[in-house]
Amino acid sequence: MPQQLTVDYTKCTGCRLCELACSAHHENKFQPSLARLKIVRYDDIGVDIPNVCGPCEEAPCVDVCPTYAMRRDPITDMTYVDYDKCILCKSCVGACVNGVIRLDTESMRIIKCDHCDGDPECVKICPTGAIQFGPPARSTVVDRHDKAETYLAEMTRTASEGES
Amino acid sequence: MGFGGYQGTILRVDLGNKQFKEHPIPKEWIRDYIGGDGFAAKILFEEVPPECRPLDKENKLILATGPVTGTSWPTSGRSAFFSKAALTGIWGESHVGGFIGPELKYAGYDLLVIEGRCEKPVYISIEDSDLQLKDASDLWGEMTDTTTSRVRRLEGDPDTQVAAIGPAGEHGVRFSSIIVNYARAAGRTGMGAVLGSKNVKAIAIRGRGAVQVNDHEAFVELAKQAHRRTRENPQAQEMSKWGTWSLTATKQEIGELPTYNHRTGVFSGWEKISAGYIRPRYTVSDRACFGCTIGCKKVNYIKEGEYAGTLEEGPEYEGLMAFGSSLGIDDYPTTLKANEICNKYGMDIISVGTTIAFAMELYEEGILTTEDTGGLELEWGNKKAAIQLLEMIGEREGLGELLSQGSKNAAEAIGPEAEQYAMHVKGLEVSGQDGRTHRSIGLAHATAARGADHLRSLVTVDQLGYEDVAAKRWGKDKLPEIIDPYTEKYKAAAVVETENAYCIRDTLIVCWYSVSWPPIFWMEDFAELLPLVTGIDEFGSVDNLNLIAERQVTLKRLFNAREGITRADDTLPRRFTKDPMPEGPGKGQTVDLDPMLDAYYRRRGWDKETGLPTDKIIKNLSLDWTRDFMN
Ligand code: SF4
Ligand code: SF4
Ligand code: SF4
Repeated sequence: MPQQLTVDYTKCTGCRLCELACSAHHENKFQPSLARLKIVRYDDIGVDIPNVCGPCEEAPCVDVCPTYAMRRDPITDMTYVDYDKCILCKSCVGACVNGVIRLDTESMRIIKCDHCDGDPECVKICPTGAIQFGPPARSTVVDRHDKAETYLAEMTRTASEGES
Repeated sequence: MGFGGYQGTILRVDLGNKQFKEHPIPKEWIRDYIGGDGFAAKILFEEVPPECRPLDKENKLILATGPVTGTSWPTSGRSAFFSKAALTGIWGESHVGGFIGPELKYAGYDLLVIEGRCEKPVYISIEDSDLQLKDASDLWGEMTDTTTSRVRRLEGDPDTQVAAIGPAGEHGVRFSSIIVNYARAAGRTGMGAVLGSKNVKAIAIRGRGAVQVNDHEAFVELAKQAHRRTRENPQAQEMSKWGTWSLTATKQEIGELPTYNHRTGVFSGWEKISAGYIRPRYTVSDRACFGCTIGCKKVNYIKEGEYAGTLEEGPEYEGLMAFGSSLGIDDYPTTLKANEICNKYGMDIISVGTTIAFAMELYEEGILTTEDTGGLELEWGNKKAAIQLLEMIGEREGLGELLSQGSKNAAEAIGPEAEQYAMHVKGLEVSGQDGRTHRSIGLAHATAARGADHLRSLVTVDQLGYEDVAAKRWGKDKLPEIIDPYTEKYKAAAVVETENAYCIRDTLIVCWYSVSWPPIFWMEDFAELLPLVTGIDEFGSVDNLNLIAERQVTLKRLFNAREGITRADDTLPRRFTKDPMPEGPGKGQTVDLDPMLDAYYRRRGWDKETGLPTDKIIKNLSLDWTRDFMN
């Protein structure tokens, strides 16, 4: 059964410990700009949204890659880069819907999440359980998504009433 | 550079000449001062002499980080601003959460020192090594939230961390703050006015580099354990859920919830400004500072009533106190609204709230009348009047003009009959504690370098009765007195030891909430952590850390001594020493400050008569160099 990172952004506090843990593990230093996931913080409305690799039913990074360097593992369903084929054209960086594929300009390599070989550091450090690793559980994700949407809609409504 | 944790570089911006300069951090500074508060004390002492007034262009403003800033150590996302304080004219510092400190580190700098003055409004833009002063004429006059949004757009990167001042800082309101990312306030002592006097509207920072520690693997392992400890700590769990709001109920229970301008410590309307009431009704999300497991920040939304549509982080307990119990207001939405106004204008909620409480008491006493207030009826509990007066202070209009100078200056202008109602020490308004029901905070308020400060040496172990912790730290022989909040005995010992530990906390820099109620981390943990981060083995000795802390406390004292501060200034408002607590568990209590001061100076090696550091202690702490800078 393929495992994936799933996200519940109603739980995320925006602490970015996951970014720190990811870069500490993969780069042996603390450098959020090289983390394989990204917390998008909306400070003005108090919402934080973790962007992680997957779950992508159809992976644009795979589709767009001109040299077939970006591929999907048939067993884990995870996408990965075959570095021998990668020509650093950055197409995948632009195509990723979550914005979590990056070019490390120092080592000149495409970097992306590899699920830490099945033992994700981001999940282990996340204090709130906002990121989990397991078989995709779509229904609950959708429910929570609804809750957040309602919250945002309510705020937009009140804001526009205030203006009129 | 060779030391882990540090970037090894101080960035200086000279506004007059529009120049940026980078300097290496001297190795001895690291050895003697560690970072954060320590570096700032060294720089301000050497470079900001007594003849320089806070709003002169010669004053400097420092944004500092420490060696763990930007790492995964829990609660290490904080940073601090330092300057000669606009509010008090003495040592000024203000710590702030959020993300700007780590970002400065990722950009490659440990410290930012802002010097001189620009002719026209600018904002400082730091994007890794791309350093610029950018025109901010269009932003001048804007509130901090608009400023932050616009600066982020101008910088073209939503991950830019922004520290901004609002109209209060521009107008020289003495207790104006610097607001980081909309809602995190470097509130105290008037940092906003200093930045405003330099014509700097904001500081925008984006860094993409790395922070590296000395022993990565061991550090990561220790940090993981530290996170586990934090997560399992019952107090930290409470903080995650309720933030600092849970203090309202605790304070009410022990009779130390400042009410009616600190007249009493019991507030009949406390429930409506307590955690259990607020969270289910108003809280929409929990947020954290960078790298924090606790996440004590609460975003709140008001659905109905006069302030419907208000969406704002906060306020902390201190704001609930300053705009709630202290003004006799039992209404959470009013405190949230006040917090929003404070954040937008860039004003310290503690100081401005306490100044409004002062005005309300003067109104009650007939010292201020509707003629002075422009028709405002400043009765206790008048929500509308409190909010209106707050805005007038932000704009420096009418009575707001006088009050924007802080309660000490306002009292001096009004006359001697007003002075006893101004709740301040050395010009800094008293925070939400009361020495009558907690003697050690009486001593802490009186002796802290920046004035009535609750964050540099607030002992919590005594008040909350943690007997085991007290026995371990101070010795069984000092029990039970040392944990009895109603006696002066042994309180100097508790305050000095706590102040030393907090001093190291502020050099690292880590959050207050990782060392409080009772601490998750203390000196021995810092001694384990620091060598892994820096590679400096000497930091592994608690004795050495104590020595560094003593050096720092004494250095700040010397800074203040140069401004004329002596024992005579280490006082408390009359109310705490003369008027017995009128009701509640602490009924009848007052503070007897002198014996505590005697003991405190003795422990610090300062002269008992003058309160000034003796030659001997100056020598022992290797502070001889300060003599070259004394008057
Ligand atoms: S699973 Fe591993 S590689 Fe992927 S984002 Fe999490 S920490 Fe980074
Ligand atoms: S560690 Fe968890 S709570 Fe913190 S930012 Fe990442 S996903 Fe959000
Ligand atoms: S405990 Fe609160 S203030 Fe401290 S670092 Fe965490 S979120 Fe920030």
